[in-house]
Amino acid sequence: MTTVLAALDGNVADMGKAIAFGVGVGLGAVGAGIGIGNIFGSMIQAVARQPELRGELTGIQWLGFALTEAVVFYALLGGLLAYVLV
Amino acid sequence: MNALFGAMNVVLAATEDFEPQKEFELPAWVSIHIGPLDMSINKAVVYLLVGAAVTCILGIWIMRFGLSLRPNRRQTIGEALYDLIYGQIAESSLPSKGLALWFPYVAALFLFIWILNLIGFIPLPISDEHVHIAGVELPTWGVYAATANLSVTLALALITFIATHFEGIRFNGPVRYFKSWVPQGAPGPLLVLIVPLEVISQFMRLISLSVRLFANMLAGHMLILVMIGLIFIFESYALIVIAVPVATAVYIFEVAIVVTIQAFVFALLSAIYIGGAIEPEH
Repeated sequence: MTTVLAALDGNVADMGKAIAFGVGVGLGAVGAGIGIGNIFGSMIQAVARQPELRGELTGIQWLGFALTEAVVFYALLGGLLAYVLV
Repeated sequence: MNALFGAMNVVLAATEDFEPQKEFELPAWVSIHIGPLDMSINKAVVYLLVGAAVTCILGIWIMRFGLSLRPNRRQTIGEALYDLIYGQIAESSLPSKGLALWFPYVAALFLFIWILNLIGFIPLPISDEHVHIAGVELPTWGVYAATANLSVTLALALITFIATHFEGIRFNGPVRYFKSWVPQGAPGPLLVLIVPLEVISQFMRLISLSVRLFANMLAGHMLILVMIGLIFIFESYALIVIAVPVATAVYIFEVAIVVTIQAFVFALLSAIYIGGAIEPEH
């Protein structure tokens, strides 16, 4: 908010950084969102077809979930680094 | 309703310099400097000590009072925890010759990170800010997770990293172990590209392992702080209707799911890395 307001004083660089941060994290979230949806969709299909495998699949499911979800945080860290350092 | 807002006005006046980012600042409480090393005791160190103590007490409470054939509630909890760590984490990822050796490490890692994450969401009177009640200076009740600090998670990841390569060399010998990094049957020119990538990926594990836990906990705490902070930034009580339920939902999501999943994944990936080094594929 303050950075967007700062642009009115001609401080366009701050606003650009804020927008870049938001767009970067947003794009990272899009990818991870598709991936997590995919994982849980596949899990539902797998359990529907072979319910007896549920116990074995749950561990793999959460591993995949955490690995995919971490992508957002790499985007977040990259965005923060760009925001602070550039 | 007006009385409520009046009471909140008093609270707001008392905390008009509300700075949520202070949760992540770590001023030294007991300054200890050994040469160039800064070993000062700060909030994160206190949280680590509390976490270690709780983990030890939990282990002793569960397993050191004798096991019976007709399990009581305490033993059922212990067996469920053991079953989760042994069945879901250790058994499938550690080879049989390293299982007995590295199961305690993986179990301790899971319990320690889980407890650290969990006490990070329980308000404790360990904080830098103080309130004066009847002339006595007391620390405010704050939340802070030691795992929301990159140094802590990086140290944990370093232990796994060193253990991985130590065990790889010990079980296979240095030549066979480092040969296993080179894929078999790849054409010569490609190896120039593949081998550096393989070496880099070993170090990327260190980064991904530590940053995953750190960023997850940091983002969870920041989300709650930002939601509550919106009320103070815009100075509008109408936002309570939106901000407090959303913050509560995030809190429940973090405590119910993220806390356990992150500890689980950290322990599981550690087990997979160590298991992969003990018994390389090639």
